[in-house]
Amino acid sequence: MRTAVLKLGATALTVATTMLSALYVTSHLKNPAAPLQPAVLSATRGSTVSVPGGSLTLGPSVQPSDVQPVTSTYAS
Amino acid sequence: MPRSAPIEGHHFEALGTNCSLFAVGLSPTRLLEAEFWVRRMGARLTRFSPDSELSRLNAAAGRWTEVSPDLESLCRESLRAYEISGGLVNVAVLPSMLSIGYVRPLSAGPPVATESAFSPLPPLSDVLSVRPGAVRLEPGAGIDLGGIAKGWMADRLCDSLGPNALANLGGDLSARGTGPAGEGWPVGIAGATVLLREQGAATSSVLKRRWGNDHHLIDPRTGRPASTGIEEASVIAASGVEAEIIAKTALLLGPEDAPAYCAAFALAWWFK
Repeated sequence: MRTAVLKLGATALTVATTMLSALYVTSHLKNPAAPLQPAVLSATRGSTVSVPGGSLTLGPSVQPSDVQPVTSTYAS
Repeated sequence: MPRSAPIEGHHFEALGTNCSLFAVGLSPTRLLEAEFWVRRMGARLTRFSPDSELSRLNAAAGRWTEVSPDLESLCRESLRAYEISGGLVNVAVLPSMLSIGYVRPLSAGPPVATESAFSPLPPLSDVLSVRPGAVRLEPGAGIDLGGIAKGWMADRLCDSLGPNALANLGGDLSARGTGPAGEGWPVGIAGATVLLREQGAATSSVLKRRWGNDHHLIDPRTGRPASTGIEEASVIAASGVEAEIIAKTALLLGPEDAPAYCAAFALAWWFK
């Protein structure tokens, strides 16, 4: 008798927890239009710098400068 | 404007080209030691000397050959370059180089072609095998490490020269640290100046090392000197060797495909 009560109680507890969880989840659906948190930068396509004979494409991690270069890349 | 720290610079000729080393807070003696390392590596990796480690490896094609950790690392890097270039950067180019007569430094005279028939290069992974301490080339195969070696050496130099250094080995650059003013190392590319931080730069060209209608840059798809519509490509990437691989791949891809390849792999690029 006591075993049956324990089984019945455990089953009822499980069912109740499942139903409450389902209710909570359905009432807190993820909004796919929600903004990202924290806000992130959108990917940039890079910039171009006009150089003799064409243009130099720079990605976001390369910064142009007007400082005199200490050396250069060149064909050898 | 940020104050600049004094730069120690050192210039010398090695590897058949001009080399420059720059560092902040390093002694001239340390840069001189680095020059000696470049010269030692150049002597080991040249294919123009029959006694070099590379020439001994090429001469031993068909059997496993014990190699130094440096040459083993370069061979592994070459296999990686072959993979990420879709087979366009293939160091098993030596037979083609010999066919076009490029058997000695150009300073010793223009090459004279010995063959008129050319064939595509074999897949590198079919002819080059690497295991710890040893390398095997298939019979008839030979490798020329060329620009990959320069980019790789520039990276190794920066690893050893401390936290704020820049190496330029014949146009293959590698930069570490924040440079003299804390913003990056100011470096020229295609006539503009950019700031390199933990990055590399390289230029691949068919306009130099040229004689008559031929030049040194072999297209592995034909075994002939490349003619793709791009004559020169300069690239900035995450390291010197990476930039070298991407620049050469871009040049070999030609103007239609090179921009998309560079957009995927490079940090900055320029073609003509």
